[in-house]
Amino acid sequence: METKIDTTTPWMCDKCQKALVSQKVKVRYLEGNFEVELLKCPTCNMVFISEDLALGKILEVEKSLEDK
Amino acid sequence: MTLDPLIHTESLCPICLHKLEAYMYDKGMNTYMHKECSEHGTFETVLWRSKTPMREWIRTKERATIKNPITEVEKGCPFDCGLCSAHRQHTCTALIEVTSRCNLNCRFCFADALDAKSSDPTLEQLRFQFESILKVSGKCNIQLSGGEPTVRDDLVKIVRIGVSLGFPFIQVNTNGIRLGQDEAYVKALKEAGLSSIFLQFDGIDDAIYEKLRGRALFDVKAQAIENCRKHGIGVVLVPTIVPNINVESIGDIIRFGISQTPTVRGVHFQPVSYFGRIPEPPKDSERITLPEVMECICEQTHHMVKMQSMKPPGCENALCSFHGNYLIEEGSLKPVTKRSCCSSGSEKAEEGANKAKAFVARNWSYQKQVKEEKLSDWDKILNAIANNAFSLSGMAFQDAWNVNLERIRDCCIHVSTVEGKLIPFCMYNITNMDGKSLYRETKRA
Repeated sequence: METKIDTTTPWMCDKCQKALVSQKVKVRYLEGNFEVELLKCPTCNMVFISEDLALGKILEVEKSLEDK
Repeated sequence: MTLDPLIHTESLCPICLHKLEAYMYDKGMNTYMHKECSEHGTFETVLWRSKTPMREWIRTKERATIKNPITEVEKGCPFDCGLCSAHRQHTCTALIEVTSRCNLNCRFCFADALDAKSSDPTLEQLRFQFESILKVSGKCNIQLSGGEPTVRDDLVKIVRIGVSLGFPFIQVNTNGIRLGQDEAYVKALKEAGLSSIFLQFDGIDDAIYEKLRGRALFDVKAQAIENCRKHGIGVVLVPTIVPNINVESIGDIIRFGISQTPTVRGVHFQPVSYFGRIPEPPKDSERITLPEVMECICEQTHHMVKMQSMKPPGCENALCSFHGNYLIEEGSLKPVTKRSCCSSGSEKAEEGANKAKAFVARNWSYQKQVKEEKLSDWDKILNAIANNAFSLSGMAFQDAWNVNLERIRDCCIHVSTVEGKLIPFCMYNITNMDGKSLYRETKRA
Protein backbone atom coordinates (compact mmCIF):
# COMPACT_ATOMS: atom_id res chain seq x y z
CA MET A 1 0.00 0.00 0.00
CA GLU A 2 1.30 3.42 -0.85
CA THR A 3 1.49 5.91 1.98
CA LYS A 4 1.23 9.58 1.10
CA ILE A 5 1.93 12.34 3.60
CA ASP A 6 -0.96 14.77 3.68
CA THR A 7 0.73 18.07 4.41
CA THR A 8 -2.44 19.71 5.68
CA THR A 9 -2.97 17.15 8.48
CA PRO A 10 -0.13 16.79 10.97
CA TRP A 11 0.95 13.24 11.77
CA MET A 12 0.16 12.23 15.32
CA CYS A 13 2.13 9.94 17.60
CA ASP A 14 -0.34 7.18 18.44
CA LYS A 15 1.23 6.47 21.81
CA CYS A 16 1.60 10.07 23.05
CA GLN A 17 -1.18 11.68 21.03
CA LYS A 18 1.16 14.55 20.12
CA ALA A 19 1.60 16.11 16.68
CA LEU A 20 4.94 15.18 15.08
CA VAL A 21 7.41 17.98 14.55
CA SER A 22 10.12 18.32 11.92
CA GLN A 23 13.55 18.08 13.58
CA LYS A 24 17.18 17.22 12.84
CA VAL A 25 17.77 13.56 13.63
CA LYS A 26 21.08 11.69 13.76
CA VAL A 27 21.15 8.71 11.44
CA ARG A 28 23.83 6.03 11.58
CA TYR A 29 24.47 3.48 8.84
CA LEU A 30 27.53 1.21 8.88
CA GLU A 31 30.22 3.56 10.21
CA GLY A 32 28.68 6.70 8.70
CA ASN A 33 26.90 9.34 10.82
CA PHE A 34 24.49 11.69 9.10
CA GLU A 35 22.05 14.39 10.20
CA VAL A 36 18.69 14.76 8.48
CA GLU A 37 15.41 16.50 9.10
CA LEU A 38 12.64 14.01 9.92
CA LEU A 39 9.21 13.98 11.59
CA LYS A 40 9.58 13.14 15.25
CA CYS A 41 7.35 12.87 18.32
CA PRO A 42 8.38 15.66 20.74
CA THR A 43 7.57 13.45 23.75
CA CYS A 44 8.85 9.93 23.05
CA ASN A 45 11.27 10.87 20.20
CA MET A 46 9.89 8.18 17.92
CA VAL A 47 10.83 9.05 14.34
CA PHE A 48 8.43 8.61 11.44
CA ILE A 49 9.82 7.40 8.12
CA SER A 50 7.30 7.21 5.31
CA GLU A 51 7.32 4.33 2.86
CA ASP A 52 8.23 6.77 0.07
CA LEU A 53 11.30 7.91 1.98
CA ALA A 54 12.32 4.37 2.97
CA LEU A 55 12.06 3.09 -0.59
CA GLY A 56 13.37 6.33 -2.10
CA LYS A 57 16.24 8.38 -0.70
CA ILE A 58 17.08 6.05 2.20
CA LEU A 59 17.40 3.09 -0.13
CA GLU A 60 19.53 5.24 -2.43
CA VAL A 61 21.88 6.09 0.48
CA GLU A 62 22.09 2.42 1.51
CA LYS A 63 22.88 1.38 -2.05
CA SER A 64 25.57 4.02 -2.44
CA LEU A 65 27.33 2.53 0.59
CA GLU A 66 26.84 -1.04 -0.59
CA ASP A 67 29.80 -3.33 -0.88
CA LYS A 68 30.90 -5.61 -3.68
CA MET B 1 60.39 -33.47 3.67
CA THR B 2 56.92 -34.14 5.04
CA LEU B 3 54.13 -32.24 3.43
CA ASP B 4 50.99 -31.40 5.32
CA PRO B 5 48.54 -31.18 2.43
CA LEU B 6 46.07 -28.45 3.03
CA ILE B 7 44.23 -27.95 -0.21
CA HIS B 8 44.49 -29.91 -3.43
CA THR B 9 44.33 -28.00 -6.69
CA GLU B 10 45.77 -28.04 -10.20
CA SER B 11 48.48 -25.90 -11.68
CA LEU B 12 50.86 -25.77 -14.66
CA CYS B 13 54.50 -26.63 -15.19
CA PRO B 14 56.41 -23.34 -15.60
CA ILE B 15 58.60 -25.00 -18.23
CA CYS B 16 56.25 -27.05 -20.45
CA LEU B 17 52.88 -25.59 -19.34
CA HIS B 18 51.46 -29.11 -18.88
CA LYS B 19 48.75 -29.46 -16.26
CA LEU B 20 50.01 -30.68 -12.86
CA GLU B 21 48.48 -31.76 -9.57
CA ALA B 22 49.32 -29.16 -6.93
CA TYR B 23 49.03 -28.84 -3.16
CA MET B 24 48.80 -25.77 -1.01
CA TYR B 25 50.27 -26.47 2.40
CA ASP B 26 51.13 -24.52 5.55
CA LYS B 27 54.63 -24.13 6.88
CA GLY B 28 54.54 -22.03 10.01
CA MET B 29 52.31 -19.05 9.30
CA ASN B 30 52.89 -19.21 5.54
CA THR B 31 51.22 -21.16 2.75
CA TYR B 32 53.11 -22.56 -0.22
CA MET B 33 52.25 -24.32 -3.46
CA HIS B 34 54.01 -27.60 -4.23
CA LYS B 35 53.85 -29.27 -7.65
CA GLU B 36 55.89 -31.82 -9.58
CA CYS B 37 56.37 -32.23 -13.30
CA SER B 38 57.64 -35.70 -14.28
CA GLU B 39 59.94 -34.07 -16.82
CA HIS B 40 60.96 -30.76 -15.19
CA GLY B 41 61.02 -31.49 -11.47
CA THR B 42 59.55 -29.93 -8.35
CA PHE B 43 58.38 -26.36 -7.90
CA GLU B 44 57.64 -24.59 -4.61
CA THR B 45 56.24 -21.05 -4.43
CA VAL B 46 55.01 -18.91 -1.58
CA LEU B 47 51.31 -18.01 -1.81
CA TRP B 48 50.48 -16.41 1.51
CA ARG B 49 52.57 -14.91 4.33
CA SER B 50 50.47 -13.53 7.16
CA LYS B 51 49.41 -13.54 10.77
CA THR B 52 45.98 -14.54 9.38
CA PRO B 53 46.06 -18.09 7.98
CA MET B 54 45.01 -18.44 4.34
CA ARG B 55 42.13 -20.82 5.15
CA GLU B 56 40.49 -18.18 7.35
CA TRP B 57 40.35 -15.83 4.36
CA ILE B 58 38.73 -18.24 1.91
CA ARG B 59 35.09 -17.48 1.06
CA THR B 60 33.15 -20.19 -0.73
CA LYS B 61 30.69 -19.44 -3.49
CA GLU B 62 27.98 -21.27 -5.35
CA ARG B 63 29.25 -21.27 -8.93
CA ALA B 64 27.68 -19.26 -11.73
CA THR B 65 26.91 -20.83 -15.10
CA ILE B 66 27.87 -19.21 -18.38
CA LYS B 67 24.66 -18.92 -20.40
CA ASN B 68 26.27 -18.61 -23.83
CA PRO B 69 29.63 -20.39 -23.65
CA ILE B 70 31.79 -19.91 -26.75
CA THR B 71 33.95 -23.02 -26.41
CA GLU B 72 33.23 -26.64 -25.56
CA VAL B 73 35.10 -28.60 -22.92
CA GLU B 74 37.47 -30.80 -24.91
CA LYS B 75 40.99 -30.86 -23.51
CA GLY B 76 40.01 -29.76 -19.99
CA CYS B 77 40.84 -26.63 -17.99
CA PRO B 78 42.81 -24.45 -18.80
CA PHE B 79 43.07 -25.47 -22.46
CA ASP B 80 39.51 -24.68 -23.62
CA CYS B 81 39.20 -21.02 -22.61
CA GLY B 82 36.73 -19.01 -24.58
CA LEU B 83 34.76 -18.93 -22.11
CA CYS B 84 33.92 -22.63 -21.89
CA SER B 85 30.86 -24.17 -20.26
CA ALA B 86 32.90 -25.26 -17.22
CA HIS B 87 33.84 -21.66 -16.33
CA ARG B 88 32.30 -20.67 -13.01
CA GLN B 89 31.99 -16.89 -13.09
CA HIS B 90 30.50 -14.23 -15.37
CA THR B 91 32.47 -11.35 -16.82
CA CYS B 92 32.69 -8.44 -14.43
CA THR B 93 35.26 -6.56 -16.52
CA ALA B 94 36.16 -7.34 -20.12
CA LEU B 95 39.52 -6.10 -21.36
CA ILE B 96 40.12 -5.05 -24.92
CA GLU B 97 43.72 -4.55 -26.03
CA VAL B 98 43.50 -1.66 -28.46
CA THR B 99 47.22 -1.64 -29.35
CA SER B 100 50.41 -3.48 -28.53
CA ARG B 101 52.51 -0.33 -28.96
CA CYS B 102 53.78 1.52 -25.90
CA ASN B 103 55.67 4.72 -25.07
CA LEU B 104 57.52 3.16 -22.11
CA ASN B 105 59.79 0.16 -21.62
CA CYS B 106 58.88 -1.21 -18.19
CA ARG B 107 60.71 -3.87 -16.29
CA PHE B 108 57.42 -5.52 -15.33
CA CYS B 109 54.78 -5.66 -17.99
CA PHE B 110 52.25 -8.34 -18.83
CA ALA B 111 51.05 -6.56 -21.87
CA ASP B 112 53.96 -7.66 -24.05
CA ALA B 113 54.39 -4.21 -25.46
CA LEU B 114 57.02 -2.75 -27.81
CA ASP B 115 55.81 -5.05 -30.52
CA ALA B 116 56.20 -2.14 -32.90
CA LYS B 117 55.84 -4.24 -36.03
CA SER B 118 52.28 -5.28 -35.26
CA SER B 119 49.56 -2.99 -36.51
CA ASP B 120 46.74 -1.77 -34.29
CA PRO B 121 43.34 -3.48 -34.60
CA THR B 122 40.95 -1.50 -36.81
CA LEU B 123 37.83 0.18 -35.46
CA GLU B 124 35.72 -2.47 -37.24
CA GLN B 125 37.70 -5.22 -35.52
CA LEU B 126 37.23 -3.53 -32.13
CA ARG B 127 33.50 -3.09 -32.77
CA PHE B 128 33.32 -6.84 -33.43
CA GLN B 129 35.06 -7.47 -30.08
CA PHE B 130 32.67 -5.15 -28.20
CA GLU B 131 29.73 -6.94 -29.85
CA SER B 132 31.14 -10.36 -28.98
CA ILE B 133 31.49 -9.30 -25.34
CA LEU B 134 27.91 -8.07 -25.38
CA LYS B 135 26.68 -11.44 -26.70
CA VAL B 136 28.45 -13.54 -24.07
CA SER B 137 28.61 -11.25 -21.06
CA GLY B 138 26.03 -8.49 -21.53
CA LYS B 139 26.75 -4.92 -20.50
CA CYS B 140 29.73 -5.60 -18.26
CA ASN B 141 32.42 -3.07 -17.38
CA ILE B 142 35.02 -2.45 -20.06
CA GLN B 143 38.71 -1.72 -19.67
CA LEU B 144 40.64 -0.54 -22.72
CA SER B 145 44.18 -1.75 -22.36
CA GLY B 146 47.32 -2.40 -24.38
CA GLY B 147 50.23 -1.71 -24.84
CA GLU B 148 49.50 1.86 -23.96
CA PRO B 149 45.99 2.70 -25.26
CA THR B 150 46.67 6.45 -25.42
CA VAL B 151 49.24 6.04 -28.23
CA ARG B 152 46.15 5.74 -30.44
CA ASP B 153 44.86 9.08 -31.71
CA ASP B 154 41.46 7.49 -32.31
CA LEU B 155 40.95 6.18 -28.75
CA VAL B 156 38.00 8.59 -28.50
CA LYS B 157 36.31 6.74 -31.37
CA ILE B 158 36.86 3.42 -29.59
CA VAL B 159 35.24 4.78 -26.40
CA ARG B 160 32.31 6.02 -28.52
CA ILE B 161 31.78 2.55 -30.01
CA GLY B 162 31.52 1.08 -26.52
CA VAL B 163 29.18 3.83 -25.31
CA SER B 164 26.96 3.49 -28.41
CA LEU B 165 26.58 -0.24 -27.73
CA GLY B 166 25.37 0.58 -24.22
CA PHE B 167 28.35 -0.37 -22.05
CA PRO B 168 27.79 1.67 -18.87
CA PHE B 169 31.37 1.93 -17.59
CA ILE B 170 34.45 2.31 -19.76
CA GLN B 171 37.89 2.70 -18.26
CA VAL B 172 41.31 3.23 -19.85
CA ASN B 173 44.35 1.49 -18.36
CA THR B 174 47.22 3.93 -18.87
CA ASN B 175 50.63 5.16 -17.76
CA GLY B 176 49.18 8.69 -17.88
CA ILE B 177 51.91 10.28 -20.01
CA ARG B 178 49.64 11.47 -22.80
CA LEU B 179 46.86 12.44 -20.38
CA GLY B 180 49.33 14.65 -18.54
CA GLN B 181 50.69 16.24 -21.71
CA ASP B 182 47.57 16.59 -23.84
CA GLU B 183 44.60 18.12 -22.04
CA ALA B 184 42.51 18.32 -25.23
CA TYR B 185 42.80 14.52 -25.50
CA VAL B 186 41.46 14.13 -21.92
CA LYS B 187 38.56 16.48 -22.68
CA ALA B 188 37.67 14.55 -25.82
CA LEU B 189 37.74 11.23 -23.92
CA LYS B 190 35.34 12.63 -21.33
CA GLU B 191 33.03 13.95 -24.03
CA ALA B 192 33.05 10.52 -25.67
CA GLY B 193 31.81 8.98 -22.40
CA LEU B 194 34.94 7.69 -20.64
CA SER B 195 34.19 7.05 -16.94
CA SER B 196 37.52 6.28 -15.37
CA ILE B 197 41.28 6.01 -15.68
CA PHE B 198 43.25 3.07 -14.27
CA LEU B 199 46.46 5.00 -13.73
CA GLN B 200 49.72 3.10 -13.29
CA PHE B 201 51.09 4.84 -10.18
CA ASP B 202 53.98 3.18 -8.34
CA GLY B 203 54.86 5.87 -5.82
CA ILE B 204 55.37 9.55 -5.19
CA ASP B 205 59.14 9.34 -5.64
CA ASP B 206 60.82 9.49 -9.05
CA ALA B 207 63.52 7.00 -7.99
CA ILE B 208 60.77 4.33 -8.05
CA TYR B 209 59.71 5.25 -11.59
CA GLU B 210 63.31 5.27 -12.76
CA LYS B 211 63.78 1.73 -11.46
CA LEU B 212 60.46 0.28 -12.62
CA ARG B 213 59.59 2.33 -15.69
CA GLY B 214 62.94 3.62 -16.87
CA ARG B 215 62.31 7.34 -16.32
CA ALA B 216 60.98 9.98 -13.90
CA LEU B 217 57.20 10.13 -14.24
CA PHE B 218 55.72 11.58 -11.07
CA ASP B 219 55.10 15.09 -12.44
CA VAL B 220 53.40 13.92 -15.59
CA LYS B 221 51.17 11.59 -13.57
CA ALA B 222 50.21 14.41 -11.20
CA GLN B 223 49.34 16.50 -14.27
CA ALA B 224 47.26 13.62 -15.68
CA ILE B 225 45.26 13.56 -12.42
CA GLU B 226 44.83 17.35 -12.64
CA ASN B 227 43.55 17.09 -16.22
CA CYS B 228 41.12 14.35 -15.18
CA ARG B 229 39.92 16.57 -12.33
CA LYS B 230 39.27 19.45 -14.74
CA HIS B 231 37.22 17.29 -17.05
CA GLY B 232 35.51 15.01 -14.55
CA ILE B 233 37.10 11.62 -15.11
CA GLY B 234 37.58 9.36 -12.06
CA VAL B 235 41.10 8.07 -11.41
CA VAL B 236 42.15 4.85 -9.68
CA LEU B 237 45.82 4.75 -8.68
CA VAL B 238 47.34 1.37 -9.58
CA PRO B 239 50.73 0.62 -8.01
CA THR B 240 52.66 -2.49 -8.98
CA ILE B 241 54.23 -3.48 -5.65
CA VAL B 242 57.74 -4.90 -5.99
CA PRO B 243 59.88 -6.05 -3.01
CA ASN B 244 62.90 -3.82 -2.36
CA ILE B 245 61.49 -1.09 -4.63
CA ASN B 246 58.22 0.38 -3.40
CA VAL B 247 56.79 -1.78 -0.59
CA GLU B 248 57.64 1.03 1.83
CA SER B 249 55.70 3.55 -0.30
CA ILE B 250 52.26 1.99 0.23
CA GLY B 251 51.27 4.48 2.94
CA ASP B 252 52.53 7.48 0.92
CA ILE B 253 50.53 6.37 -2.12
CA ILE B 254 47.34 6.12 -0.02
CA ARG B 255 47.91 9.55 1.54
CA PHE B 256 48.56 11.05 -1.88
CA GLY B 257 45.36 9.44 -3.19
CA ILE B 258 43.31 10.86 -0.32
CA SER B 259 44.75 14.32 -1.03
CA GLN B 260 43.48 14.06 -4.62
CA THR B 261 39.87 13.09 -3.90
CA PRO B 262 37.25 13.18 -5.29
CA THR B 263 39.15 12.83 -8.59
CA VAL B 264 41.11 9.89 -7.20
CA ARG B 265 38.55 7.25 -6.25
CA GLY B 266 40.89 4.77 -4.61
CA VAL B 267 44.10 2.78 -4.80
CA HIS B 268 44.27 -0.68 -6.38
CA PHE B 269 47.49 -2.53 -5.51
CA GLN B 270 48.95 -5.18 -7.78
CA PRO B 271 51.70 -7.34 -6.23
CA VAL B 272 54.33 -8.08 -8.87
CA SER B 273 53.96 -11.29 -10.86
CA TYR B 274 56.39 -12.81 -13.33
CA PHE B 275 55.68 -13.07 -17.07
CA GLY B 276 57.83 -13.26 -20.16
CA ARG B 277 61.22 -14.71 -20.70
CA ILE B 278 63.21 -14.89 -17.46
CA PRO B 279 66.51 -16.68 -16.77
CA GLU B 280 65.51 -18.35 -13.50
CA PRO B 281 62.41 -18.90 -11.37
CA PRO B 282 61.47 -15.90 -9.20
CA LYS B 283 62.56 -16.29 -5.57
CA ASP B 284 60.02 -16.05 -2.76
CA SER B 285 61.85 -12.94 -1.58
CA GLU B 286 60.94 -11.33 -4.90
CA ARG B 287 57.23 -11.72 -4.17
CA ILE B 288 54.79 -9.92 -1.89
CA THR B 289 51.56 -11.76 -1.09
CA LEU B 290 48.10 -10.18 -0.68
CA PRO B 291 47.98 -10.32 3.14
CA GLU B 292 51.43 -8.72 3.30
CA VAL B 293 50.09 -5.83 1.21
CA MET B 294 47.15 -5.52 3.63
CA GLU B 295 49.49 -5.57 6.62
CA CYS B 296 51.64 -2.86 5.00
CA ILE B 297 48.51 -0.76 4.43
CA CYS B 298 47.65 -1.00 8.14
CA GLU B 299 51.19 -0.32 9.38
CA GLN B 300 52.05 2.44 6.94
CA THR B 301 48.78 4.31 7.59
CA HIS B 302 49.61 4.02 11.32
CA HIS B 303 46.52 1.79 11.73
CA MET B 304 44.11 4.40 10.38
CA VAL B 305 43.17 1.44 8.15
CA LYS B 306 42.47 -1.72 10.11
CA MET B 307 42.81 -5.31 8.93
CA GLN B 308 39.14 -6.02 9.72
CA SER B 309 38.03 -3.33 7.25
CA MET B 310 39.41 -5.33 4.32
CA LYS B 311 37.44 -8.23 2.91
CA PRO B 312 37.79 -11.07 0.43
CA PRO B 313 35.88 -10.57 -2.85
CA GLY B 314 32.34 -11.74 -3.52
CA CYS B 315 32.96 -11.96 -7.26
CA GLU B 316 36.31 -13.59 -8.09
CA ASN B 317 38.07 -16.31 -6.07
CA ALA B 318 38.87 -15.24 -2.50
CA LEU B 319 42.60 -15.78 -3.09
CA CYS B 320 42.62 -13.26 -5.96
CA SER B 321 41.89 -10.02 -4.16
CA PHE B 322 40.94 -7.92 -1.14
CA HIS B 323 39.04 -4.67 -0.85
CA GLY B 324 37.92 -2.14 1.72
CA ASN B 325 35.50 0.76 1.29
CA TYR B 326 35.85 3.97 3.26
CA LEU B 327 34.47 7.45 3.69
CA ILE B 328 36.98 10.25 4.14
CA GLU B 329 36.22 12.30 7.23
CA GLU B 330 38.65 15.13 8.00
CA GLY B 331 41.38 13.47 5.98
CA SER B 332 40.96 10.11 7.71
CA LEU B 333 39.48 6.89 6.30
CA LYS B 334 36.40 5.55 8.09
CA PRO B 335 35.43 2.01 7.09
CA VAL B 336 32.06 1.23 5.55
CA THR B 337 32.82 -2.46 5.04
CA LYS B 338 33.43 -4.93 7.82
CA ARG B 339 34.57 -8.49 7.63
CA SER B 340 31.98 -10.72 9.18
CA CYS B 341 33.22 -13.25 11.71
CA CYS B 342 30.15 -15.43 11.20
CA SER B 343 29.87 -15.88 7.46
CA SER B 344 26.62 -17.53 6.47
CA GLY B 345 28.35 -20.18 4.38
CA SER B 346 28.22 -20.19 0.63
CA GLU B 347 27.32 -17.11 -1.41
CA LYS B 348 26.13 -16.96 -4.99
CA ALA B 349 28.90 -16.17 -7.48
CA GLU B 350 26.41 -14.56 -9.87
CA GLU B 351 25.23 -12.14 -7.20
CA GLY B 352 28.86 -11.34 -6.37
CA ALA B 353 29.52 -10.51 -10.03
CA ASN B 354 26.51 -8.18 -10.22
CA LYS B 355 27.48 -6.37 -7.03
CA ALA B 356 31.12 -6.01 -8.12
CA LYS B 357 30.10 -4.59 -11.50
CA ALA B 358 27.79 -2.05 -9.87
CA PHE B 359 30.37 -1.13 -7.24
CA VAL B 360 33.15 -0.48 -9.74
CA ALA B 361 30.90 1.52 -12.07
CA ARG B 362 29.69 3.66 -9.17
CA ASN B 363 32.83 4.08 -7.10
CA TRP B 364 35.52 4.33 -9.75
CA SER B 365 33.72 6.99 -11.80
CA TYR B 366 33.97 10.68 -11.11
CA GLN B 367 31.03 12.00 -9.12
CA LYS B 368 29.95 15.41 -10.26
CA GLN B 369 30.00 17.94 -7.42
CA VAL B 370 26.76 19.75 -6.73
CA LYS B 371 26.42 22.95 -4.74
CA GLU B 372 25.33 21.93 -1.22
CA GLU B 373 22.80 24.70 -0.52
CA LYS B 374 20.55 23.52 -3.34
CA LEU B 375 20.17 20.05 -1.87
CA SER B 376 17.78 18.35 0.53
CA ASP B 377 19.30 16.66 3.61
CA TRP B 378 19.22 13.24 1.98
CA ASP B 379 20.77 14.54 -1.22
CA LYS B 380 23.51 16.18 0.86
CA ILE B 381 24.28 12.75 2.30
CA LEU B 382 24.33 11.18 -1.17
CA ASN B 383 26.61 13.97 -2.35
CA ALA B 384 28.94 13.53 0.65
CA ILE B 385 29.15 9.78 0.09
CA ALA B 386 29.85 10.28 -3.60
CA ASN B 387 32.60 12.81 -2.94
CA ASN B 388 34.18 11.14 0.07
CA ALA B 389 34.03 7.48 -0.88
CA PHE B 390 37.48 5.95 -1.22
CA SER B 391 38.39 2.34 -1.90
CA LEU B 392 41.51 0.34 -1.16
CA SER B 393 41.91 -2.91 -3.02
CA GLY B 394 44.49 -5.29 -4.33
CA MET B 395 44.58 -8.08 -6.86
CA ALA B 396 47.23 -10.78 -7.11
CA PHE B 397 47.82 -11.85 -10.68
CA GLN B 398 48.97 -15.40 -11.20
CA ASP B 399 52.05 -16.50 -13.07
CA ALA B 400 53.29 -19.91 -14.17
CA TRP B 401 54.74 -20.62 -10.71
CA ASN B 402 51.75 -19.88 -8.50
CA VAL B 403 48.83 -20.45 -10.89
CA ASN B 404 45.90 -22.24 -9.26
CA LEU B 405 43.34 -23.48 -11.78
CA GLU B 406 40.53 -23.17 -9.22
CA ARG B 407 41.17 -19.43 -9.31
CA ILE B 408 41.23 -19.44 -13.12
CA ARG B 409 37.79 -21.10 -13.21
CA ASP B 410 36.41 -18.43 -10.84
CA CYS B 411 37.92 -15.52 -12.80
CA CYS B 412 35.70 -12.54 -13.69
CA ILE B 413 38.22 -10.41 -15.61
CA HIS B 414 38.33 -11.60 -19.18
CA VAL B 415 40.47 -10.54 -22.12
CA SER B 416 38.71 -10.25 -25.46
CA THR B 417 40.59 -11.81 -28.38
CA VAL B 418 40.49 -10.95 -32.07
CA GLU B 419 38.32 -14.06 -32.65
CA GLY B 420 35.77 -12.75 -30.16
CA LYS B 421 36.70 -15.21 -27.42
CA LEU B 422 37.05 -14.27 -23.75
CA ILE B 423 40.08 -15.61 -21.88
CA PRO B 424 40.49 -15.32 -18.07
CA PHE B 425 43.02 -12.53 -17.52
CA CYS B 426 45.80 -14.54 -15.88
CA MET B 427 45.46 -17.42 -18.33
CA TYR B 428 45.80 -14.94 -21.17
CA ASN B 429 48.98 -13.46 -19.71
CA ILE B 430 50.74 -16.50 -18.25
CA THR B 431 53.91 -17.51 -20.01
CA ASN B 432 56.44 -20.23 -19.38
CA MET B 433 60.07 -19.35 -18.58
CA ASP B 434 60.81 -18.86 -22.26
CA GLY B 435 58.00 -16.38 -22.67
CA LYS B 436 55.75 -18.85 -24.49
CA SER B 437 52.06 -18.38 -23.81
CA LEU B 438 48.98 -20.60 -24.09
CA TYR B 439 46.63 -17.99 -25.49
CA ARG B 440 48.37 -14.78 -26.40
CA GLU B 441 49.94 -16.00 -29.65
CA THR B 442 46.53 -16.73 -31.15
CA LYS B 443 46.22 -12.97 -31.18
CA ARG B 444 49.20 -12.62 -33.43
CA ALA B 445 48.39 -15.54 -35.71
